[in-house]
Amino acid sequence: MLEGIHQIGLHEWEIPLGYVAGMRVPGRIFLSESLGKILEAGAVQQLANVATLPGILKHSLAMPDIHWGYGFPIGGVAAFSIDEGVISPGGVGFDINCGVRLLTTPLQHKDVTGRRDLLEELFRAVPTGVGAKSAQKVSLQSLEGMMAQGAQWAVRAGYGVERDLLRCEEGGFMKSADSRPVSDKAKQRGIPQGGTLGSGNHFLELQVVQEIFHPETARAFGLSLGQVCCMIHCGSRGLGHQVCTDHIKALESATKKYHITIPDRQLACAPITSTEGMAYFSAMASAANYAWANRQMITHTTREVLSKTFRIEYDEMPLIYDVAHNVAKFEEHLVDGKSMKVCVHRKGATRSFGPGASDLPADLSSVGQPVIIPGSMGTSSYILRGTRTAMERTFGSTCHGAGRIMSRTQAKKMKSGKEIVADLKKQNIMVRAHSENAIADEAPEVYKSSEDVVNVVHEVGLSRLVARLSPIGVIKG
Amino acid sequence: MSFEEISHTADIKIRVRAPTLEALFSETFNALMQVMYGTARKGGIIKEIKVESLDNESLLLDFLSEVLFVSEVESLVFFTASISIHGSRLTAELSGEPFDPIRHSGGSEVKGISYSGLSIIHDANGYMLDIIFDV
Repeated sequence: MLEGIHQIGLHEWEIPLGYVAGMRVPGRIFLSESLGKILEAGAVQQLANVATLPGILKHSLAMPDIHWGYGFPIGGVAAFSIDEGVISPGGVGFDINCGVRLLTTPLQHKDVTGRRDLLEELFRAVPTGVGAKSAQKVSLQSLEGMMAQGAQWAVRAGYGVERDLLRCEEGGFMKSADSRPVSDKAKQRGIPQGGTLGSGNHFLELQVVQEIFHPETARAFGLSLGQVCCMIHCGSRGLGHQVCTDHIKALESATKKYHITIPDRQLACAPITSTEGMAYFSAMASAANYAWANRQMITHTTREVLSKTFRIEYDEMPLIYDVAHNVAKFEEHLVDGKSMKVCVHRKGATRSFGPGASDLPADLSSVGQPVIIPGSMGTSSYILRGTRTAMERTFGSTCHGAGRIMSRTQAKKMKSGKEIVADLKKQNIMVRAHSENAIADEAPEVYKSSEDVVNVVHEVGLSRLVARLSPIGVIKG
Repeated sequence: MSFEEISHTADIKIRVRAPTLEALFSETFNALMQVMYGTARKGGIIKEIKVESLDNESLLLDFLSEVLFVSEVESLVFFTASISIHGSRLTAELSGEPFDPIRHSGGSEVKGISYSGLSIIHDANGYMLDIIFDV
């Protein structure tokens, strides 16, 4: 473990006040000894930088998939007082509401084994990669619908069923979205990209439920052993990227106007209740809603392909859940024994609401929120459930994925896209992408083990393991 | 005049050196286009970009963000940028071609240009910067 960081409990480490000048609260990282060996000093510095922001509550937090990002570290969580705190695009990132959802099917592993045609059909139907344009025609009016009502707009436009909305964080859209502070540029980028996957670490993956850790919860979620599922990982596309770019510029001026000292320009921020802070929040919520609509549209396309290929009914493919990884939200949490409304930033972290929490559908209220943790390409993904421990210790948050340990340059030197495809083929995993380069960026070896990461949150109790899914076919964005 | 990729875990970090501020901006632009669309790019279609910002770092970030915007909404892949900077104002003439999925799909989509760690250094050897592209 890096110097200056102290262990204070099981998998829990403290970055003390003074680690960087001006820290208002200590930092806390949830990390095993083995993951601690690959912790980057840059990521810890970023976590400590967040602790200097005005109005931060309790701790600047990081999940075990922490790594070096920009502004906040990836895996960072921080909550701010509404009255004294700030909101920062650096705590959300460019890909607003990058998130993940899982839908199930009535199919079994044997039904899709070797079905390259299915992967090709999905690849044809869902636009992916750099420069991809939507197959659906999104009008300006539809775009406004996507930003105002997210997945609900999509369902009402015919891209899903009402039940899907019960299985989305926030019911599939943030009600406080207001698209007036979304620039025309952002809208121009959003129109041609509705229903597209994007590139980078985004993917659409066919998976099989390989292992069940908690049968009762798995049943409540609708998961069974051997079942084929589909995981969709993407975000708000160019619209979200532009919202972040536009508002960082606006908040740079606000940072000076409100005399806020920041250690990194990417942490540009404004008081939550200021005009500039609320303008960013409204635009960010609109972009988050666009992302929920986007994932819903891709879900619709996926269901249509599966329905046509296997002659299964559309409603035989229910959604397990949809979670956001990059978002700032107003939530009620306990601070010093009192319930209060706070602004939680999650940058590469997942909401992990426990039993009894608000925003859970009635049938999951006693179980907790489904938490979806995607693995890296070719490795297992995990389904967990939210816990009361997370509510008490991390503002209802847990990890979001495996977390990179190697740069893209190193990754490409290590293995070519062709070699990775061959390796995965040996494990009976099919891969499809526009370029071998895209595959080489995301080799399984460039990520921490998702198993190590989820074991930490399971053992600390920030979420509890329910099931493990292994990949069968991957469409790489 | 050159750029090199520096190891960065999550994103793409580029180090650029150039004799003048204009060349520094131009080379950073080249790095951005290469990361996104690879090296098989051609000129032909001309676009002009104008930005005005508070300091050199913001000027660079605003310029590259504008390049990302124009490239995406007009489906253009740029090859060269002829840049002039006067105080807080930048004018760039970009030359490029329509996006071709066959030749230009090899890269990584850049989501945004980060301020983290961005500082333009000017000394006797010329100009230098490190910049992070979020991919």
